[in-house]
Amino acid sequence: MAGELPAGVAFAKLRVLLVDDNAAMRGLVRAVLGAFGCDNVFEAADPKRALGILSVEQIDVIITDWKMTPVDGLSLVRHLRNPEKSSNPFIPVIMLTAYAEPSRVREARDAGVTEFLVKPFSSEQLFKRLQVIVNRPRPFVRTKAFFGPDRRRLNNEYEGPERREDAAL
Amino acid sequence: MTQQRERPIEIINPPNMLKVKVGGRIAPADPAAIARAEAALADMKEEFADWLTEEVDKLEAALVKVHTDGLASAAGDELFTVAHDLRGLGATYEFPLVTRMAASLSRLVETSEKRTLVPVDLVDAHVGAIRAALRQNIRTDEHTIGRTLAEELETRVIALVGAPA
Repeated sequence: MAGELPAGVAFAKLRVLLVDDNAAMRGLVRAVLGAFGCDNVFEAADPKRALGILSVEQIDVIITDWKMTPVDGLSLVRHLRNPEKSSNPFIPVIMLTAYAEPSRVREARDAGVTEFLVKPFSSEQLFKRLQVIVNRPRPFVRTKAFFGPDRRRLNNEYEGPERREDAAL
Repeated sequence: MTQQRERPIEIINPPNMLKVKVGGRIAPADPAAIARAEAALADMKEEFADWLTEEVDKLEAALVKVHTDGLASAAGDELFTVAHDLRGLGATYEFPLVTRMAASLSRLVETSEKRTLVPVDLVDAHVGAIRAALRQNIRTDEHTIGRTLAEELETRVIALVGAPA
């Protein structure tokens, strides 16, 4: 479509925070983001360090693992979505995790993740998540029990987890 | 809990500041960007075997601790963490069979409740199979022995902890 930006132009302006306790995984994601044109990548090995970075840097998108200790990625998302604790409760969060079970996807969604991506991931899947976050952000919903992106999927949008074809169930 | 039970519902449409920041809509597909990303990963390929070996070394080290302290200890949680990481990394490191076996192991030891019930010899069997796949360069389940082994492990795990939810 005319007027649409190539990734290299658009992603160059994004500032991304990667939160994963596995340094190799952070390196892989950073390499893919760099190839997309995104070089403003900050890394944290755990949610506590992530919150430290968020307190001093302007971050546009967070990509976080789930399974971390002593605090996991789900707790980080809940913290971020708490308007009383978070400086930006609307920040887009991509949960990048080896958990693939539908029950996990629901749990993450109910915590307030914006997008869910299963490891091992493909660069195309990550591209699509970032693209949809910029082009078609979901509205937020506030109820007594929930604050976060609308959990009902928009029409014709990605539904449920995607994985590489060679990934294990 | 469904949203219908959570009334009243407030819908908020925050201004799309990211779109403003990047300067407009991003093209829905950018084959050149994907190709660059695949090339960047390909440039790292030479390191994959070493990195995978490091992860499997970590898994074996965690298993040694499990043999000393038992699965129902901090060592059991550590073993799950490494297996879970391996599940996410194996296929990227061009060993989808390792991802498959690590996924089975992760399901086996995922919760503290499961770790009190499962026999350590089944954990040993998973770790041994993952090491063997790496040592013998068996990367996918197209390899008959690799597939048979993975299926046998998965069958035993399902018998113990049930099918994936």
